[in-house]
Amino acid sequence: MNCKLIAEQIDDFLDGELAAAESQSLETHVSTCASCEAIITKERELRDMLQDYGESTMPCADAAFFDRSIAIAAQTGTRRQRNRWVMTGFGGAVAAAMALWIVSGVFFSAPSITEPTVPSVTMTLEQPQTLNLVFASAEVLENATMTVFLPEGVEVAGFAGQREITWMTSLDEGRNILPLTLIATSPVGGELLATLRHEDDDKTFRLQVSII
Amino acid sequence: MGPLDHSQRTSFDALIKPHLDRLYRLSFRLAGNKAEAEDLFQDVLTKIFPRLDELIEIEEPGSWLCRIMYNHFIDNRRRYARQRLVSVSEDRLPGKSLEELPGNLDPVADAERLDNIMRLQRAFSELSEDHRLVVLLHDSEGYKLTEIQDVTGTPVGTLKSRLHRARARLREILANDGTESTG
Repeated sequence: MNCKLIAEQIDDFLDGELAAAESQSLETHVSTCASCEAIITKERELRDMLQDYGESTMPCADAAFFDRSIAIAAQTGTRRQRNRWVMTGFGGAVAAAMALWIVSGVFFSAPSITEPTVPSVTMTLEQPQTLNLVFASAEVLENATMTVFLPEGVEVAGFAGQREITWMTSLDEGRNILPLTLIATSPVGGELLATLRHEDDDKTFRLQVSII
Repeated sequence: MGPLDHSQRTSFDALIKPHLDRLYRLSFRLAGNKAEAEDLFQDVLTKIFPRLDELIEIEEPGSWLCRIMYNHFIDNRRRYARQRLVSVSEDRLPGKSLEELPGNLDPVADAERLDNIMRLQRAFSELSEDHRLVVLLHDSEGYKLTEIQDVTGTPVGTLKSRLHRARARLREILANDGTESTG
């Protein structure tokens, strides 16, 4: 290895991107070449300066600023959603637990509780867990009502002690996600029922909740 | 706030919080000063909130969030880059104090380090925006080139070349800034 090659490889060497054999060869050369050793030293000094600069010029953001920013984002962002929780456009895998309920084209002519397979989820006691309840609808449903009936020992975060929660919603055509953060407060569990009502029709979806 | 809003907020909280520090630091490196960085940070969070469904699904949310911030900054750069670089004065640094940085507690060394920081600040003002950003993200923030590629969309080869040239230019500026080099 010669000094010219060293100059070309210094950045990769100091950035840890040089192959082991080449690094070894470079180190061997530098140990016997005062000129290259001086260059390496200067390069290390520049990197140390840049690292110091990074830490010294970065203002500290406190947790209160982060919390305030999230609150503003939620407030403004929710308005932007126009009170619709329906969201479409799936891509990859869903990280959190997911239950998939399919709403068919004959959705409202079907009797209640028609799903042949009940999806299930396991929760850990006292640990909030966000479930992404996914609905697929063949058509747009405006002004529907969603009621969630919770099994014993399971609460929706922020609604302590409430076993039945109802709100107005609407569904887009296609897949719709309802993120629901639940907390298991006692090791009982059971069936969570989600009833969707639209005009005179309704359908109930079931989710088996186990608690460990 | 209805049950859905509350649930969304809780989900958003849980998903976004692990990435806030990195996002904040990126906003500061892009905007260059605290006030504009905080505006950028806030605007990007507000932009992300309605995209909660995507945030839930994304496999590498850190890169995705940084990319949204970068693209938002590029689209609105005039708004966020009124003052490019943070002001550093001898009596106050906006980040960690010299005592908090790794190294010996030595008044002479501290003075040298502060001098270096101020020299770098002047040198950065002479770099192009692309060169300044790649050096700051790679050498000051510790991003890998592949991570910068994910955020900016610029190929690694181009970034590597920019980084090499930017460091060379920095060395050149520092060598000719009328003060002695440290070390």
